[in-house]
Amino acid sequence: MKKVLALFLVSILMLTACSSGSNKDTSDKGKDTKEVTVWAWDPNFNIKAMNLAKEAYKSENPDVNIKVIEHAQDDIIQKLNTSLSSGTTKGLPNIVLIEDYRAQSFLKAYPDMFHELTSSFKAADFAQYKIAPTSLDGKNYGLPFDTGVTGLYVRTDYLEKAGYKVADLQNMDWNKYIEVGKKVKEATGKSMLTQDPKDLGLIRMMIQTSGSWYLKNDGVTPDIAGNAALKDAFQTYKAILDADLVKPVSDWGQFVAGFNSGDVATVPTGNWITPSIKAEASQAGKWAVLPMPKQSGIANSVNASNLGGSSWYVLNIDGKEKAADFLGKTFGSNADFYQTLNKEMGAIGTYKPASEGEAYKAADDFFGGQKVVSDFAAWTEKIPQVNYGMHTYAIEDILAVSMQDYLKGKDLDKVLEDAQKQAEEQIK
Amino acid sequence: MITAKENHTQALQKVNSGRKTRLKNNVIGWSFVIIAAVMIFLFYFYPMVQALILSFQTGVGANLTFTGIDNYTRLFKDPTFLTTVKNTVIYLIIQVPVMILLALFLSVLLNNKTLKFKGFFRTAIFLPCVTSLVAYSVIFKYLFGQDGIINMMLMKISLISEPIQWLTDPFWAKIAIIIAITWRWTGYNMIFYLSALQNVDESIYEAARIDGASPIQQFFKITIPMLKPIILFTSITSTIGTLQLFDEVMNITKGGPGNATMTISQYIYNLSFKYTPDFGYAATVSYAIVIMIVIFSIIQFKAAGDNNE
Repeated sequence: MKKVLALFLVSILMLTACSSGSNKDTSDKGKDTKEVTVWAWDPNFNIKAMNLAKEAYKSENPDVNIKVIEHAQDDIIQKLNTSLSSGTTKGLPNIVLIEDYRAQSFLKAYPDMFHELTSSFKAADFAQYKIAPTSLDGKNYGLPFDTGVTGLYVRTDYLEKAGYKVADLQNMDWNKYIEVGKKVKEATGKSMLTQDPKDLGLIRMMIQTSGSWYLKNDGVTPDIAGNAALKDAFQTYKAILDADLVKPVSDWGQFVAGFNSGDVATVPTGNWITPSIKAEASQAGKWAVLPMPKQSGIANSVNASNLGGSSWYVLNIDGKEKAADFLGKTFGSNADFYQTLNKEMGAIGTYKPASEGEAYKAADDFFGGQKVVSDFAAWTEKIPQVNYGMHTYAIEDILAVSMQDYLKGKDLDKVLEDAQKQAEEQIK
Repeated sequence: MITAKENHTQALQKVNSGRKTRLKNNVIGWSFVIIAAVMIFLFYFYPMVQALILSFQTGVGANLTFTGIDNYTRLFKDPTFLTTVKNTVIYLIIQVPVMILLALFLSVLLNNKTLKFKGFFRTAIFLPCVTSLVAYSVIFKYLFGQDGIINMMLMKISLISEPIQWLTDPFWAKIAIIIAITWRWTGYNMIFYLSALQNVDESIYEAARIDGASPIQQFFKITIPMLKPIILFTSITSTIGTLQLFDEVMNITKGGPGNATMTISQYIYNLSFKYTPDFGYAATVSYAIVIMIVIFSIIQFKAAGDNNE
């Protein structure tokens, strides 16, 4: 029995020896090189932008090696959650991209794990609606990156068949949109838009035009029952479905195929869809971008909203100063860099001084000569600031069920009350 | 007396040396087992205990505090959890019996001595099990899409006049998931039955035939009783598999529309990674699955295992 015990102890010792040995290796490597690692998703957008930033920074600081690694967004979230909650920062990058809707939950769930960036850039230089989600207790933790400013992409040829001109449809509300949609359907047989019943992006865009969100301004109290904007959005959503304007889809690929194949007349979404719209070169000149429709029943609703968008965060680990310096000197203050970003890949940042630049004023022939970028930049400044808080996706999953109930005929007030109760129960 | 004493010491020595070799054998035996045992303990039982402790805590991310059994009482008031349990049980009570019967049926067909191209059919039916869960899920998503090949086929042969909303309608989405998992796992269970059937003595069937038993009687009176332990085994593993169902739902419908197809495992994933992380409650939901698996397994043992013991 003693021998068994001894063997047991030896094997445990060996195991621990193995693990401590490998730990030493990785920490040594980290100290030797001046390496800043970055995690982001989407090679056509975020990764590309980061690589451009890397080039811009390299000319002045050749000794810092920046390594950009692509992971899917879901993978980044999982890796951050598992590592940070177990209290280890080994294997994590210096800089990470986080979606604005999720930022607060990371900042609050893992205090002290993110490096404060307040002194690395001037918050006043950025679009105001980006500041609330990226900061906590008055301190800035995220450097605002892309804007999710929304527009209503429309097929001008379909609208003309239905007897509408783009000029007539500026700053419309959703009632008008439905009216147009019915005519378009009559004239062309095309649906107005695609919708994925699992994704309430449309609802989110609608309520943000009215400065409202799923949560109250404190970022934790659910604001569902008695939220006039949300109620109106639900009614509009149902009206759009009832008018038979929707072609249902169930994933991103089908969504993109919907407009690339010419099956839908409009795409209400964030400006980051521009590259995908332009991907179908045969439709050049047939598109235009209108301001987002506003909510009809809500007084303070404006024709500007946001969908998605993300920001850069620095983790509180070795190399954080270098990482913060890199971000501050590129995304944080370099207006020329934003011109390059725009020219090379059509990205629109949220850095206000950049909108003075030449690239932002260029006309785009794909959109019939419309100055799309400067339009988006102008709408960006009109986006009402809301506090996304910590629970966007948790509440959205509850509301997705509520929506199904409502569409099946349940009373709307009751639906929203139930959702409020469930949300309060879930997010304590 | 002397010889007796000598005998006694000799015997004692024998016993001693016997003990030594036995001890030696034991040590060698244990040293083979110990590594696996330590690994299992470290990576299996230790995390299980930690998860149990975690399930009594609540909080956001790393800020966890003990709350006693709050998480467990929350389970029963959480409509999303109850819906996921309902969905999972629906998959279970419809999909598992259908699959087991189908697998039995196929294995009996394939065991037929006169069947040609046996190897081809066996491979064809077993092949789905080799494909990756994600890969086949993605393909099923496209098959069942609004403009997918299934809808096109049904419309071409005029069975339906407009496309079925396979993935966006609560009822049809469940059907799509059930079809997908049945396709993926039937072959896997069939292999078990096939190997068990090959161990059934042919003379039993011969005797039955001589006594005038019809093929159907042979199936119910001989095949099924002979396969009973295997049927029990496959139904338990299938039950466990269905209770842990994740990949298919995640990839085909993402749990939608609403949460009409969401499974318990996907809810655990959402609680940990999609929403603001609440690992404590997620661990509680995991333990709910453990308890359910134990209960279902006991029921199946009781229902099927009575004359095996």
